[in-house]
Parts: sequence; C-alpha cells; structure tokens
Amino acid sequence: MEQKRLFQAQENGKAAPALIRLDRICKSYGSVRANRDISLEIRAGEILALLGENGAGKSTLMSILSGKSRQDSGTVFVDGLPAPFRSPRDALAAGIGMVYQHFMLVEAMTVTQNLMLGQAHGILNPSAMRARVLELAERYGFEINPDAMIADLSMGERQRVEILKLLYRDCRVLILDEPTAVLTPPEIDQLFAALRRMAADGRAIVFISHKMKEVLDLATEISILRRGEIVDHFLRADVPGERELAERMVGRQMDVAVAQSPVEKGEVLLELSGASFGMARELSCSLRRGEVLAVVGVAGNGQRELVEMVTGEAKPEGGRDSVRILGKNWHDFMRSRPDRKSMVYIPEDRKGLATCPSLDLLDNFLLTNRNGFQNFGFLDRRHSAAAAENVMEEYQVVADGLHATAGSLSGGNLQKMVLGREFFRDPCLIVAENPTQGLDISAMEEVWRRILDARDHAGVLLVTSDLNEAMTLADTFAVMYRGRFIDVFPRSDAAKVASIGLMMAGIPFGEEDGRKEQHHEA
Amino acid sequence: MDGFRVVRRQTPHRWIGLVVLPVALFVALAFCSLLLMIQDKSPVQAAVVLFQGGFGSLYALQDTMLKAIPIFLCSLGVSVAFRMKVWNIGAEGQFALGGVGATWAVLAFPGLPMPLMLALMLLCAAVAGGLWGMIPGLLRLKFGLNEIISTLMLNYIGIEFMRYLVYGPWKDPGSMGFPMTAMFPDEAIFPEVLGYVHAGLLVCVVAAVIVAMFLQRTRLGFELCAAGENPRAARYARIPYGFLLVFVLTVSGALAGMAGCVEVSATFNRLQPSLCTGYGYTAIVVAWLSRLRIPSIALFSVFVAGLLVGTDNLQVDMQVPAAFGGIVEGFILLCVLAGQFFHTYTIVRLGREQGGAA
Repeated sequence: MEQKRLFQAQENGKAAPALIRLDRICKSYGSVRANRDISLEIRAGEILALLGENGAGKSTLMSILSGKSRQDSGTVFVDGLPAPFRSPRDALAAGIGMVYQHFMLVEAMTVTQNLMLGQAHGILNPSAMRARVLELAERYGFEINPDAMIADLSMGERQRVEILKLLYRDCRVLILDEPTAVLTPPEIDQLFAALRRMAADGRAIVFISHKMKEVLDLATEISILRRGEIVDHFLRADVPGERELAERMVGRQMDVAVAQSPVEKGEVLLELSGASFGMARELSCSLRRGEVLAVVGVAGNGQRELVEMVTGEAKPEGGRDSVRILGKNWHDFMRSRPDRKSMVYIPEDRKGLATCPSLDLLDNFLLTNRNGFQNFGFLDRRHSAAAAENVMEEYQVVADGLHATAGSLSGGNLQKMVLGREFFRDPCLIVAENPTQGLDISAMEEVWRRILDARDHAGVLLVTSDLNEAMTLADTFAVMYRGRFIDVFPRSDAAKVASIGLMMAGIPFGEEDGRKEQHHEA
Repeated sequence: MDGFRVVRRQTPHRWIGLVVLPVALFVALAFCSLLLMIQDKSPVQAAVVLFQGGFGSLYALQDTMLKAIPIFLCSLGVSVAFRMKVWNIGAEGQFALGGVGATWAVLAFPGLPMPLMLALMLLCAAVAGGLWGMIPGLLRLKFGLNEIISTLMLNYIGIEFMRYLVYGPWKDPGSMGFPMTAMFPDEAIFPEVLGYVHAGLLVCVVAAVIVAMFLQRTRLGFELCAAGENPRAARYARIPYGFLLVFVLTVSGALAGMAGCVEVSATFNRLQPSLCTGYGYTAIVVAWLSRLRIPSIALFSVFVAGLLVGTDNLQVDMQVPAAFGGIVEGFILLCVLAGQFFHTYTIVRLGREQGGAA
C-alpha cells in the first residue's frame, strides 16, 4: 500500500519531501499495545486525516509526535534526521504543534497574553506581538480581537487562539485532535478554509476525526488505524465518496476461526419500545434468547446512553414500559434485580469500571459474585477461592495465581476473567460493550466463541464500534446514528448487511443515490 | 541524550519498603542534626536523649505506651475511613466527644460496679463519637458537602462543646475555679494491667482484632475496601456506596470516641480541657505512615508516641525550644511519606528505555 501511494503521488507530480517520517513506532501501555509498527510520512502542503475507532491508537500516535509521550521503539525523523523528543517543547522546537480537544488557555488573560506564555525569551514586546497576531489572523481569515479575554470567547474562537499560538511559533506541522467537535457549522467552514490556506503555504496538517464527511471535505491523504496499526493509507482522490471510504474503513473481513451459526431462538429477554435517554432517542428493538443483537455505529452516537439505560445506570425517559427486561418493566426489574439468571454487563472499560486493578483476582471475582458466597454477613473465602480458580481454569486465564492483582493481567486475560466472572451467575441477558477492544487475535477469538456459546442460555446485546466483530457475531444488526436506530435487520438480509458502512454514516438503506440531499453533521 | 523519567511501577516492589523507612529516618535525623548544630547543640547527644527518652528504659517505654494507646485507637478509626478514600480528619473532635460521652456515663450512673461502668463508658463514648462522625457522612450524602471541610469544622465545635461543659454545667464546685469535672470514682478508672500501662491496651487489642476481622472476613468490609479502590467499579457491582460512606465515618468516629474514653478515664481521671492535645491529628499521620495496615498502625503509633515522649525530654535536658519536637516529628513524616513515592513509582534512565532506537 505504501509503495502504491508513493507511486501515485509521483505520478501526480507532487511528491513533496516528507517533513516528518515515522518509522516503525511501537508504544505499549502496560500490556496494551496502543501502537504497533506504525510508519507514516507527513508532507508539506498535505492534509492528512487519521481515521479510526476509539482506542485504535490515534491519540497515542499523536501524543508521541507532539512529544507528550515517548515511543517504546521506532524513530521519528524530522527533515530526514532522527529526532528524539523528550517533551512537547522539543517537538515545538522542531516545528510540530498540537491543538488538543480540551484547550490549554488561561481564561483570565487576553489573547495576546496567552500567546506570550511559554515564550523562550525573557524579554517580551507586547505591541510587536500584537501586530504579528493581527497579521497572522488576517492572513488565515480568523476574526479575532487580540485584546479579548479568553473567558469571553466562544469555543471556536478559543480554537483559533490555539492555532495562532502554533502559527506564532512557526509550526510547520499542525496536529488537530477532533477539531470540529466543538464548532458550529459556519465555524467549521472557516476552520477548513484556514487549514487549506496553511497547507497551501507549505505547512502540513494532521487531523484526527471519525466523521467521514469531514475527512472527505478536507483531507488530501487518509490513513486508517485499527487496533494500533495502520491498515490502509491512500489519497483522497482514490475514494470518490462516502460509500468507498466506508468500505475502506471496514476493510476486508478478517480471517478468524470463529463462525456463527444460528441457534434456536427462545423467549423475548429485552424489549425496547421508544426508549429514550439523553442522546439515545426512541429506540425500538427486541432481543430473544439465543440471539446476538449487535448495535453498530461510530462511537458517540448514543450507544453509551443505550447501555446505561439497559444496565440500570440511567432511567429511561420514555415511561416505565419503554424498556422491558426479562418480562418486567424497567422499574420492577431494577428494584428486584436478582443475582443469578439475570442480567450481566461486560463494560468496555475493563480496568476503570469492571475491576479494581489493585485488588487481586479473588477479590475481583467476589466483586460481583459476593452475594453468592456469604453466610450471615461473612464472606466464604474458601469456597469462593475454589470457584474463582475453576473459572480461571475454564476460561484459560493466564495469571500468577489467584492473588495476582487484576492490574497485572494482560487485556485479554483480564477480559476472559471478567467474562468468566459474569457468566458464573448464569446470566439470561448479557450486555457486552466493545468486548474485544485492545485484545490480540487469539484472545479476541476466545471472547467471541464464549459469546456465541452463551446463546444457549442467554441473549446478547452487543454494542460495538468494530464492524468486523458485529459481522462475526450478530444474528441481528441495529445501526445507530445520532442517537437513533437507522435500521434493524437480520443477518439474512444480505443487501442491508452490505451497506452497514453507509448506514453508519447516516444514510438509510436505498438512499445512497440521493446522497446529495442528505444533510449530515456539518 | 541522557535523562531520567518517572515511571509508574507495574507491580509493587518486593523489598523497597524495607529500605525506604530506614533511609527516610536517616535523612530526617540528618536534617534535624543540622538544625541542632545551628544552635550549637550536639546532635549526637540529642539523638541519644531523644531515643532514650522515648524507648530507652522501662519507664520510658511505659510512658510511650500510654501515649500510643489513644493514638492507636484514633488512627485505627481514621484508617477505616481512609480505606474507602473518605477523608475523616475529624478524629480530634470525635475524640473530645468520646470524652464527653464517657463522662456523662459516670455522672449519670455513679455507683455501678467497675466492669459494668467501664463497658457503659466505652459504649457511650463510642456512640457520642460515632454520632459526631455520622454528621459529616450524612451531610455529604444529602448535600454533597465535602467531608474534609465538615469533619475539620466539627473538630472546633466538638472541642468547644467539651470546654463549655467543663467550664459550665459539669464543673466541679470543689475545683477552686479550675475548669474540670470532679474526680471519677475508682470504678470508672481503667485499672493498670502491665506495669502502669492501663487496660486501654486491651481495648486496643480487641478493637484491632474486630476491625481486622471486619475488613477481611465480612461482606461489608470487602465492599468497603472495593469501594475505596475503585468507586466506579463499586457502582458497577451495585455496592451501596452511600450507606458505606455514612457507616465508615460512624465507625471511625466511634473508635476515636473510645480513645477519648480511655484518655479521660485512665490519664486524667476526669474531664478537663487539656484532653485535646492533637492525638486526633497525629492519628492521621500515623495512618498514612502505616499505609492503613493494622499491624503497622500499631508499630507507628508506638514509634510516634515515643518521639513525642522523647522530644519532651529533649526540651528539658537540652533546652531546645518546645517547637523543636514538632519539627523533628514533621521532618520524619515528610521524609517517610516522600520515600513512599518509591513504592508506586520508579525512575528509569531514558537512554536505556529507548532500546537504542534513537
């Protein structure tokens, strides 16, 4: 892919020299491999988009590039020379600057004062600085009053100040982390115009996004990250529209040794009829025993709220009967929620929510199974230890015994432990949220197999932003976009399954030809 | 090219704890020696006086134990709350209220036989201290009021309440105007069990065993520890966080209250304002030093109590200012706490971490 891209770039006669070259960058956090062998070139005059799911490694890569964290191995080359950044200051000195999602400005100071912060020289010349700010702002079409207080500025204006800060320091490479998330549509247009202008001036722009339309609007090159690796890299010109980009994002189906075959369906376990909470609006679907219902969509489209409603963390707004679980309405179920043969929740955040990383595996096993091992308020540690050891054996959890801390386990082993722990209570309804995020292939297959096997006695609500996972496991798909189900359809509907990528971009089935009339999140 | 970087340890180091403590003590004493040298006093002699005063003789050890008892009980109490990451810094006030509760029992039921009397005093002290601890718990649960502020503020109220009683309604008419209650009858005074160390020691042992059993063996104790480790996971596992919040503050207050009872009964034999000398605050430090482990709390209680006794000696023998004792204590705590940084973090050289790639 790399060679093909280079070839095409030369053919177009605009192979600019790489300002930055990343060579086999690897970075792990504990046992999680956030970046593996990432090689990438960033060229002057180009706008590179990094596309990927949450946790694909985009932010890690950018924090290495901006000097905030350090790679485990691999090299960053600036102008062809290796540049070991030890701090954001080093990266800034090399001309690489980053605009974070959360701005780093002092609210009680003016625009000019904020620009003065962190200057290397001891002597400042505020009036010259102010003039330079005005000049830069005018050049890129930023309307900004250099004497305004940051606290009085809108989010869009604050972002401009952040960008001006980098321009003022002559950054040649600007990295923007989801820059449009806080902007209004006209502000987005202004930002894009300014970024194009900067690229035309010979700067390089890198931006992180998961909105396909924006990527197509702005980028000249696109890289797709998945599970810490760059899985695809191509020119904007190679993808005519969202359909093609969606296909590229989804990628080729991975060859996995897990295949799902339908099992007999039983009674209805979960029924949503017009359920709403926060961003999730009027969701309707039902889930039976023996079924995996995969809710797919780009992260942040209401999946979180759906999970919160079903697991009882949030109260549905649409009346008590809008969510029915195991034959009871939401209130009745949550009030008398039994321990066994009930609902379990496998959260995405294994170390933050599902476990106490500093406690050992036995304590983590007891965390949700404690009610089954108590006599008159005392915990039966002997029996629970035996049960926990059985679970570890059955789920092939590789750990330094029962007294290893949960935090010392690799992501895959910890997830297997969490699955074993939750399945220990013979659940009827399983809510699993990105259950294989950050896992290696073998652990992922193991988790998938377990989920498919669980269909014998349970129904699974699988909320995932990994389309491969949904394709592997789902009996039924529900595609979520901006808080609503765009469509709910069975696996057998091949035509719809084929256009899930488009639906994730908000385009209902059969309407891709009329795409121009669609209004997206601008 | 070279540089250093602080990195979080993946697993706790096995033997670093054994090294950190002596090194930290040494550094602290070195600092204190410097201060003494400025005053033209011999640091070696000072160290000898300090440690002999605290630990050097049977009398010294018994004095130390007497101070260690209330510190231990208060520290055990705050450690229960700290385990859940609830910051009870109100042990001092709960301690005062415990003294009040015990005194009330003596004043209301004179004439009871000793075992009954002592048990009733402990119970009343625990209830009074517990209620005083429960207030910030309820305030946080109902109104989201930060318990650090409310427990601290309630210290002042609690101590002033105690002072009000001994200056007013409970003042002994025969005390010639001194603010104090009448001397307790013999039945209300903890007997001596070990040399002149009183039966408060037994209260400590029993309380320690019960708290340890509670934390390790019961479901509630387990829930409490889990909630402290990760409140989000506690919520996920449907642990009753709000109930536990009030519960730990109540238990914490009850233990500090029992310390107050032991102190009025055995040390003062009456309620008087000098009851509150900061044990409740020392207890917080002890809990931190011992990293909330009960055997360590016992050891550090004795150690810190020894320092208190030793620095008293220092004042008398070497004419150093009274504040010096506090300075020694402060240096030691600072160094030990700073040293505990190495339990969770380690420092690596950057050049090596890179694997030669740069």
